[in-house]
Amino acid sequence: MAKLRIQFENGDPEKVIEFDPAKAPFHHDGKPGSILDVMLGHGIHLEHACGGNCACTTCHVIVKQGFNKLGESSEQEEDLLDKAPGLTPTSRLGCQAVIEDPNAEIVVVIPRYTINQVSEAAEE
Amino acid sequence: MTAEQPPAGGFKRSTLNARVENIFDHTTDTRSLFLSLTSGKHLRFVPGQFISITIPLGDEMRSRPYSIASDPEERGPFEICFNRVAGGRGAQWLFDRRVGDTLDFSGPFGTFTIDRAPDAELCFIAEGTAIAPIRPMLKRALASPSASRIHLIYAAPDRDHILYAAELEQLMRTAPNLSYESVIAPGQIYDRLFELAEARWVIGDADRTRHFYICGVGKGVIRLRDLLRGAGYERRAVHYEQW
Repeated sequence: MAKLRIQFENGDPEKVIEFDPAKAPFHHDGKPGSILDVMLGHGIHLEHACGGNCACTTCHVIVKQGFNKLGESSEQEEDLLDKAPGLTPTSRLGCQAVIEDPNAEIVVVIPRYTINQVSEAAEE
Repeated sequence: MTAEQPPAGGFKRSTLNARVENIFDHTTDTRSLFLSLTSGKHLRFVPGQFISITIPLGDEMRSRPYSIASDPEERGPFEICFNRVAGGRGAQWLFDRRVGDTLDFSGPFGTFTIDRAPDAELCFIAEGTAIAPIRPMLKRALASPSASRIHLIYAAPDRDHILYAAELEQLMRTAPNLSYESVIAPGQIYDRLFELAEARWVIGDADRTRHFYICGVGKGVIRLRDLLRGAGYERRAVHYEQW
């Protein structure tokens, strides 16, 4: 079984998901077996304003462990990540980062802020 | 603002509420909804952004993105434009909305935007309803002090699906720095767009200072991106949004 450990920068308690990557997809949005797909399929929310279509950065995650166990990023994902706040060398979009290795142990941090975070400032 | 239940282990999502003020059918399968915030306030957004509408599908609420087709400078309702797609339950739900209905959304979102036109020749490429984010971007670019040339190539499978046709023709007549071409290409939209982009902006000359904004559905958008970047245009000058 693969393991996905999720830490939240906003202080929410850590979550751990154990899953079989071969059983993907687990939900509807994002690439099958992606961090977004795994999280949604196990009842843990990750913002994905574009529906998991690689068209925004709201599912930005920072991979603390297991970065090399994830499927490679596309040029499209890299183009979007360029615009993500708090970008790190191990940043990925949750909707695109696929966990295929059945023995992978992945640790991700969900950043507190995203460039697209909705706020009251959208109204004037 | 209205509150939504905080999701398990994630951000607390904020939601806005909007009322359908008007409906316009471009064709039998393409519609615009004109929305105003029930708070009475104005939605602030940048040309090119989208909103994420909360849509009940089955026993759960899902979020689906819809580009804002109107100009942020307009103080009235804002517009989203969409088409009916086979098996697309989200679009069907939107088609079922009536004047006076309300809906929840979050946003605006998205980084495929123009806040200020670059001081360079600007090329927009769009197909079908993907003209929606391009329309306010084009207006923002035309309103910018830069006198650089602006081009729009807009493709659809038939004449009826060239949306905002009269408005675009009018813009071309009144803006001396704008060239606009509509392309009717049934079944092979991206082949035609690829040929045009290649002929004009790759083979046509050695200028590689242009900026591009490409929006559409499917991998054809990526083909266009690769054509232009491969021809020597700066990576960050070739902007695209693929749905």
